[in-house]
Amino acid sequence: MSPKKQPRLSLWTTLVELPRNVWSSIFRNPIPSNDLERSATSFTNFFLHIHPVKVHKNSLRPLFTLGLGLMSFFLFVILVVTGILLMFYYVPSTTQAYDRMLDLRGTVAFGMFLRNMHRWGAHGMVAVVFMHMCRVFFTGSYKKPREFNWVLGVILFLLTLFMSFTGYLLPWDQLAFWAITVGTAIAGYAPLIGKDIQFLLMGGTSVGQEALLRFYVLHVAVLPTVLTLFIAFHFWRIRKDGGLSRPAEADAIPALEFPEGSSVLEPHRTYGVQGLVRGPLHAAGKVPDNTVFSWPNLFRAELFVFVVTLSAILLLALLFDAPLEEPVNVMLPPNPAKAPWYFLGLQEMVSYSAFWGGIGVPGLFVFLLFLTPYIDRGSAGVGRWFARERLLANTIFLTFVIVNIVFVIIGTFFRGPNWAFVTPW
Amino acid sequence: MRLALAIGTFLILLIHGVVFYNQFFQKWERNQIAYFGQARSLAKTDAERAALAERKPAIEQIVVSNFGETRVDRCTTCHIASDDPRFAAKAHPLKTHPYSLELGDTQKNGKWERRHKFAEFGCTVCHDGQGRGLEPKYSHGEDEYWPEPLLGYATQEHWRKDFAPKLKGKAFLEANCVQCHTERGFKSTPTVERGRQLFYASNCYGCHRIQGISEGTIGPDLTEVGRTWKVDYLWARIADPKSVLATSIMPKFRLKDDEVKSLVVFLKSRKGRNFAETEIDRFKVKLTGGEPSKAGPQPVEIKPGEMVQQGEKLVADRACAACHKVGEKDGGVAPDLSFEGLLKGEDWLLEHFKNPRSTMPDSIMPAFRFTEAEFKAMTAYLSGLRTVPVLSTPDATYKAFCLRCHGEKGDGQGPIGQHLDPFPRDLTKSGFMNSKPTERLVASIRSGVPGTSMPAWGKVLDETRAKSLLDYIQETFTKEPRRELKARDLPDRNPVPMSPESMTRGQTTFVNRCAGCHGPKGDGKGVNALDILPRPRNLRNGAFVESVNDRRLFDSILYGVQGTAMPPWIDYGLSTNEVGDLVNFIRGINPKPKGGQHAAAN
Repeated sequence: MSPKKQPRLSLWTTLVELPRNVWSSIFRNPIPSNDLERSATSFTNFFLHIHPVKVHKNSLRPLFTLGLGLMSFFLFVILVVTGILLMFYYVPSTTQAYDRMLDLRGTVAFGMFLRNMHRWGAHGMVAVVFMHMCRVFFTGSYKKPREFNWVLGVILFLLTLFMSFTGYLLPWDQLAFWAITVGTAIAGYAPLIGKDIQFLLMGGTSVGQEALLRFYVLHVAVLPTVLTLFIAFHFWRIRKDGGLSRPAEADAIPALEFPEGSSVLEPHRTYGVQGLVRGPLHAAGKVPDNTVFSWPNLFRAELFVFVVTLSAILLLALLFDAPLEEPVNVMLPPNPAKAPWYFLGLQEMVSYSAFWGGIGVPGLFVFLLFLTPYIDRGSAGVGRWFARERLLANTIFLTFVIVNIVFVIIGTFFRGPNWAFVTPW
Repeated sequence: MRLALAIGTFLILLIHGVVFYNQFFQKWERNQIAYFGQARSLAKTDAERAALAERKPAIEQIVVSNFGETRVDRCTTCHIASDDPRFAAKAHPLKTHPYSLELGDTQKNGKWERRHKFAEFGCTVCHDGQGRGLEPKYSHGEDEYWPEPLLGYATQEHWRKDFAPKLKGKAFLEANCVQCHTERGFKSTPTVERGRQLFYASNCYGCHRIQGISEGTIGPDLTEVGRTWKVDYLWARIADPKSVLATSIMPKFRLKDDEVKSLVVFLKSRKGRNFAETEIDRFKVKLTGGEPSKAGPQPVEIKPGEMVQQGEKLVADRACAACHKVGEKDGGVAPDLSFEGLLKGEDWLLEHFKNPRSTMPDSIMPAFRFTEAEFKAMTAYLSGLRTVPVLSTPDATYKAFCLRCHGEKGDGQGPIGQHLDPFPRDLTKSGFMNSKPTERLVASIRSGVPGTSMPAWGKVLDETRAKSLLDYIQETFTKEPRRELKARDLPDRNPVPMSPESMTRGQTTFVNRCAGCHGPKGDGKGVNALDILPRPRNLRNGAFVESVNDRRLFDSILYGVQGTAMPPWIDYGLSTNEVGDLVNFIRGINPKPKGGQHAAAN
């Protein structure tokens, strides 16, 4: 026995305190009950510290963002998780791939459900990313200082398309085979290097084992890595560019609420300047404060978007089975052979002119997308949907969007054998 | 917000519940549990009962690698009682696979012994279907995408409703039996054998090739047809060819349902491979290209004294009557040969046998690979057919001679009309009938129209009878009375001399003005051709073009052909010289046939 009196560290107290000790070693803060703890929670949590401590009220307006960017991200997370699970069963071999699909559908536990989730998640991601891009355009959010983040966004959009496209081949059924045959043929129409790109993609002159392996590696390793990097970059830029865009008047000081002489700041600012980077750093503390704490406002909104996204995908996966057509038959192309739906607009244009429809017009469109923030330099109308000041830009973009959607609809529903016009009813 | 979150989270939970329920309470597990229970009540010994009580539901599978690609058959997961003789009287899926002598099963001391053990053969080798799945809809191949639905049991939703019920029955399974039992006349595959016989008897062999069986070249090669197509497609292609492909030239043969079925089963068995042959066999076939003569129609040695009798036998054996009418037999596709000797000369017949398209460029008759001697014998037989029925009235004459092509209503829609190219003349079109002089119409009847299916009836109908037949046609079908024809200013001979320059000018005019209907090659297959009846004339039909004089060509081009889509080009500004160039061009693309081939030329 020690003569010194010390608090006894009995086994009992250790056991009793174990859960609390483990908890507090992981989460540094208690569930926040005051502003200090609210900032600390955002700041010290690994998963939360990508967020600002405080967020502008405008960014939380559901009808401003529609949650589309977050939705794209959550879809990506769902796709990564289901994709990894599917990888356990998939073999990228022309002799085995289709059998593995049959196994997934018939025998593997949750196989069909996972495949459904992955399939609809992928289609959903293409659609949602595109809608996100439309949102950013129509609210003028690509304007200074967010020009480069728009460029990153366009890259992410292209990566998403390519990601979905490479995954399309993997089931190795007729749908996959001929869609990729058509898709890679469109790439082949590019001048000078078209045929080389096509060859590089397919690892040969036709879609076969080499193409399957290439698409697999691109789909499960290369593209997800690149996509993850760009997503991180995209998110980082959001913070560094001062959060989401908002109209200038959102930062204005309402005259009545802030009478002369009174501070526009809340009494206890406990967050660092990094927590709320908006504009030049020396401006911090001198601007009106229309912000709220991220905890719980932002996180609850994010959770909500996540729940909506997940339940939508789960519901789709439960109700609709991902298609699995006949095994590949190189001698028996379906008529018409159609590319994945998001490329059907291209295919429709290709049916008018191979070069202009497949390369010229879409290439120009992508080029213009990249240049958009550097061409459209006016600063008016930022942060509002369909601002009157941006009528011209919005009209041009809307025209492109509608034309594209119309072409996709025509290609999907109104094209029958020999690409002849048919009515779907 | 909180409520929405709660609802969303609850939805996620609910879906997880449903998914987990589906995963852990599968139909096949319930099946197996039911089987264990029933088997336990049927068990005789305690040990057996105990063993059954121990068994837990598990996926059963048979991996078969003896028959082509490795197959994984998990059918016995649900059909777990298929090898348990006690379940013979139960309902599917817990039912014993029947034992039968036909399948080669044997009985020893009252116990059946299977010839095809499941462990060795699996299920899909015989039955088709999708062995890997556990969901009945997919395993039975009832989704539209599975290429091999359970033969004779499963039908797919998009199959034609009128055919689908006919595609059921054990007979369809024979298609898979012959993958191993390739010997002819194998007693357990009578339907395949019947189909094989019908393949000859219906003259399928004339157009279609099946390696080792036939050498036809007009229709698609059927060597691997059973691997590519499902039974519904085969049935539709045989029973109603145009329903699948509107441009198909395959005739609709007069086949009864059971005949179609036999043909379908036979064709379904053509998979381009069989499990009985070894790699070496296959390699030999590849090297030699198979042995067609062994299985196809055997050449017959023709004795000069018995030409006619042998010819008659050949015409019967080689299934000419699958299309033509010969005596009582009538295929309902091609012209009546019952009095061929009066309509065609021997030269024409022989030429037509060797190459049907040399005398009739758009004939769908296949060129048969018979020997010269055989053709001569058949010609001898056909040219001896010179008896016509005694016909007193023009009405009876029309019915006996004309109706087969020109139809009951005289509109060219006779029973075989659709198989003839050019299409039989529509006799109800008064525009045409009344714009041609009577002499020309009578000449068409008596001398025929060269290069078409209209034969020369001169030896059957004399001038008077031909005229009264024409009068009958005018009265009954054309109806409108004839008008006085206006004399037209037409050259008797082409005023433009034939020269390469003139042909080039003619070609330019042709491409600009005529190609839309007559086609850029002049073969009558222009882009508008399919919308026009009668179809635009094939101007590469040498026999026809030769039989038409310059005056008539000028007439048809300048003043049009009434009752057809050919307009009067004089209204569109074609000059006589331009027409002269056109005529030179049309004559120029038809090399003069070697004289004396055409009956009409005599």
